[in-house]
Amino acid sequence: MNRINPLETFRIRPSQKVSIRYGRKSYQGVAGDTIATLLYANGVRIFSRSLKYHRPRGLYSLDGECSNTMMQVNDMPNVRVENTPARDGMEVVAQNVAGKTADIDPMAFMDNLSFAMPAGFYYRTLHKPAKIWPLAIKNIRKAAGLGVMNPDFRMPGHFDEIYPTTDVCVIGGGPAGMTAALSAAEHGLRVILLENRPWLGGVFDYRPTAYEGDIPLYRRAWELAEKVETTPNIRSFTHTAVVGNYNDHLVTAFQRGDKTDPFDERYIEIRARSLVIATGCIERPLLFENNDRPGIMQVGCAHRLARTWGLLPGKRAVFSIGDDLGLEAAVDLADLGLEIACVADTRQDGQDESLTDALAQRDIPFYRGWMATEAHGGKRLKGVILGPVTGIRRQTFDCNLLVASAGQTPLTSLLSMRQVKLRYDHHTGFFLPDNPPDGIHPAGRMLGLQDSVEIEISGRLAGMAAAADCGINMDKEIETIKTRMDAFPGPVRGAKVVSAAVKGKKTFICFDEDTTLKNVDQAMAYGFDVPELIKRFTSAGTGPGQGGIPGHNLPLYVAQTQQSPDTEPRPTTVRAPLVPTLLATYAGSQHDMSKRTALHDSQEATGGKMERIGVWNRIRRFSEDVNARAEINNVRSNVGMLDASTLGKFRIHGPDALKALQRVYVSNMEKMIDGKIKYSAMCNEDGCIIDDGVVVKRGDNDYYFTTSTGRAGQTVEWIRFHTRYDGWNFNLVNLTDAYGVINLAGPNARKVLEKITAADVSNGAFPYIGYREFMIADSIPARAMRLGFVGELSYEFHVPASYMQALWDILEEAGQEFGVQNFGLEAQSTLRLEKGHLIIGSESEQRTTLHDVGLGFLWNRKPSAKTVGAVALEDTEKQKGRLKLVGIKMADAALPTPRDGSIIVDTKIRGYVCTARFSDTLNEPVGMVLVEDELSKIDTQFNIYEDDCNGRLITAKVADMPFYDPDGKRMKM
Amino acid sequence: MSFIITCPICGPRNAYEFGFGGEDKGPRPDEEALSPGDWCDYVHMNQCVAGVAREWWIHRSGCGVWFTTSRDTTRNLEVQVETMEKGPNPPLEKE
Ligand SMILES: [Zn+2]
Repeated sequence: MNRINPLETFRIRPSQKVSIRYGRKSYQGVAGDTIATLLYANGVRIFSRSLKYHRPRGLYSLDGECSNTMMQVNDMPNVRVENTPARDGMEVVAQNVAGKTADIDPMAFMDNLSFAMPAGFYYRTLHKPAKIWPLAIKNIRKAAGLGVMNPDFRMPGHFDEIYPTTDVCVIGGGPAGMTAALSAAEHGLRVILLENRPWLGGVFDYRPTAYEGDIPLYRRAWELAEKVETTPNIRSFTHTAVVGNYNDHLVTAFQRGDKTDPFDERYIEIRARSLVIATGCIERPLLFENNDRPGIMQVGCAHRLARTWGLLPGKRAVFSIGDDLGLEAAVDLADLGLEIACVADTRQDGQDESLTDALAQRDIPFYRGWMATEAHGGKRLKGVILGPVTGIRRQTFDCNLLVASAGQTPLTSLLSMRQVKLRYDHHTGFFLPDNPPDGIHPAGRMLGLQDSVEIEISGRLAGMAAAADCGINMDKEIETIKTRMDAFPGPVRGAKVVSAAVKGKKTFICFDEDTTLKNVDQAMAYGFDVPELIKRFTSAGTGPGQGGIPGHNLPLYVAQTQQSPDTEPRPTTVRAPLVPTLLATYAGSQHDMSKRTALHDSQEATGGKMERIGVWNRIRRFSEDVNARAEINNVRSNVGMLDASTLGKFRIHGPDALKALQRVYVSNMEKMIDGKIKYSAMCNEDGCIIDDGVVVKRGDNDYYFTTSTGRAGQTVEWIRFHTRYDGWNFNLVNLTDAYGVINLAGPNARKVLEKITAADVSNGAFPYIGYREFMIADSIPARAMRLGFVGELSYEFHVPASYMQALWDILEEAGQEFGVQNFGLEAQSTLRLEKGHLIIGSESEQRTTLHDVGLGFLWNRKPSAKTVGAVALEDTEKQKGRLKLVGIKMADAALPTPRDGSIIVDTKIRGYVCTARFSDTLNEPVGMVLVEDELSKIDTQFNIYEDDCNGRLITAKVADMPFYDPDGKRMKM
Repeated sequence: MSFIITCPICGPRNAYEFGFGGEDKGPRPDEEALSPGDWCDYVHMNQCVAGVAREWWIHRSGCGVWFTTSRDTTRNLEVQVETMEKGPNPPLEKE
């Protein structure tokens, strides 16, 4: 299609060509086209097939309020091509059709079966017998639905996120929004302006109608936009859809990136002190038979196609409208070359006379109180029947374009989301806000204003009110401007007609869900009486458009049909996101934040298999052997090194440090001996064990303690919480990241250590459970602990993280002659299991107490300390029927090793396997289980059911722990 | 969690920087003569008022301080309460 001669209002650059593929063909457009306008320019009229009936659908609003123009673009389904800029090389495919374009659809016969599918059809019919539903849903899904999701699709692009704060956030970049932003900015406030379209201007943007004096509205929009863009304290975001509005003025939005932006989309979360909502209006769809035919579009759609993209929307048009914007568009489009058969206006009176005069000058017949009642044609519109709103007289007009609109409807979703009550206003026919909460200021057309200057002044007023929210005294200015407002006409009377007098079988109130007026009638006949319920039963407004099309008509139609004088129309609830948003946009750029130990790179380079465990990346094993047998054997026979840096490490010091320790640790922490490690545990208030670790005393009121990896992040918070009423004086420092830990374990460990330190580390000078501080290689200050988690002679070196790599290299070199090798978590897990040492969380769960895991000996009754969990421990110590932690071996060493099965006795589940491994050292499987106390005695036998055991239960028996070196000689050697 | 909470150290910040620490129930009771039932009530029972509640919050993603503040649970907004009225919520009424 040829474009009309260039106009000042164009947003395209005709000299710059853009080419995309649709179906099997290539289509040419120009820079500035959306995918939809590019295709429209090439004669494409059908953009999709409807959800249920596969009816052809075309361009309707151009602002993305329905699913009519959702297509698959570059393998991504459900792209709204009407507001997606066309880029060279895009591959576009139609959705919900068998072929690649929407022109031909073998499922179109569904439209003739619509009589068989009344509202709620599937749910009411396909449930008996129950078996039928899974089968039915499969076929329904095949026939209906929107785009197809390809599981192999990987989202390309860059997704950014920003979290700006501002004084005033203005939503809507039309005349009211821009003046609001400018007026707030005049007072030095920081302003953020959000606009859904790719440019500022709103309802002024494309209209040649005169503003004050001679300048056209679009030039006035340029003026305002230039002021906004050159005001340094206004930050404006265009092509930005607002999706949520929350308490204390938290506004969420996303911006689609331009070619020059470093992002494809970005999530924007704004915290403001005050809000101006100037979202304006959309058009309320006109309801008549076949109101969804391609070739029927709203006023703004037709007008903007010509004024913004240079496309005359049709050859011969009929207008059926309900407000002056419709008349204005008819006059302007006629001047641009559109042949207009006639204009019908649902209003009897109240039109701007200059517009009706202009129609008369152009010999365009004008029918007051008339509207479209039925459209003819299938894939292409052929004609329309017009008639009086009230009467039965009818007249047919041939046309290939029907510009249809019932009038305006305000975009109040952002108010509803803040629990603003909306009241039906009989003058405007709008749902208007009743007393918006503090700090929210609606402005512009959404209040029913139509006069261009008045719209701007209402924006100024809102901007001033927002400035007042930010602490600026605006009383005088606000008074003055309110007086100025009084000189204007105020909200205009809106058109009230909802629907033509039709049966409504093919009158679509919701395009997305193929909901007809007849469906709504059926819902009411079933007894659903409020729009909120009718919406759910008919699914009107639950599609991708989020109620944009039926949002206003549904409550109006319901109120009108119920014909009860006290029934005020009530709008349905809206929820975020107001506009469908890509998951990729919400995910942003930082999908996975995790921590690395100081040894991460060198460990990985040595062949370590990295795994994400909680917030950390840790090495599971150093070979392909999932059981890490070589690593285990080397620790048992030579010496191994483990990066244990993820342990929680803390310093607590100050006069009341000991009191704090007494509060959270179950043991008596007063009894600490210099140079000796104290092992203890923390419980929650229910006496359930949450952590274990060691504490050493490094000086007066100065302690160093460790927690398990998983608890490290919560420990400071935990201790502060449980001392929050006490006002104690202590300091708590999280050293988890500042310090690293290497565990050197195995019978040769001392030989390695002796080579690298001058300190006396003989068994006498540095015995088991000892704590020492000394220098390694005369340069690395180490805090050394003799512990035995893996059951061998073992040292833990805690050193500043920056020394970790050096220490590792030193140990590796010194250990070479003694067979030192790395070991990872898998080896550690088996080693400690053989030793019967537990890991909290692995061998305990939410309801497992200190006594249940056999650590009751740690508990010391000290009531004055008010230890967390003590009262519950007192209560549960002797409680019957608890799950106890015990060791198991198999009834026969040749039986398979269980993984995580259930313990079954007398066909009842009586416990479960926590951890089990085949022990090479012992040459049989060993494990730990949580089992009911009466089954916890040594040698009790029970069966274990594993997921894929095929009915063959594994017989196990309770066994003494430790399994390995029961006397602990090897740890103490 | 979209509202704003005022940290006594950092000032007003996004609520999602904070962690919830339950209702302000006053200090831990003495363990002497404390029945398990009373203990359980102290730990687990809440008033859940529809209105203004005094609560513990921690500035988790900030300075880490625990503090009490008042929140209108019907609107999910922090509210400023006169110093006179501050302090823990009264204990639960026993029936
Ligand atoms: Zn803080």
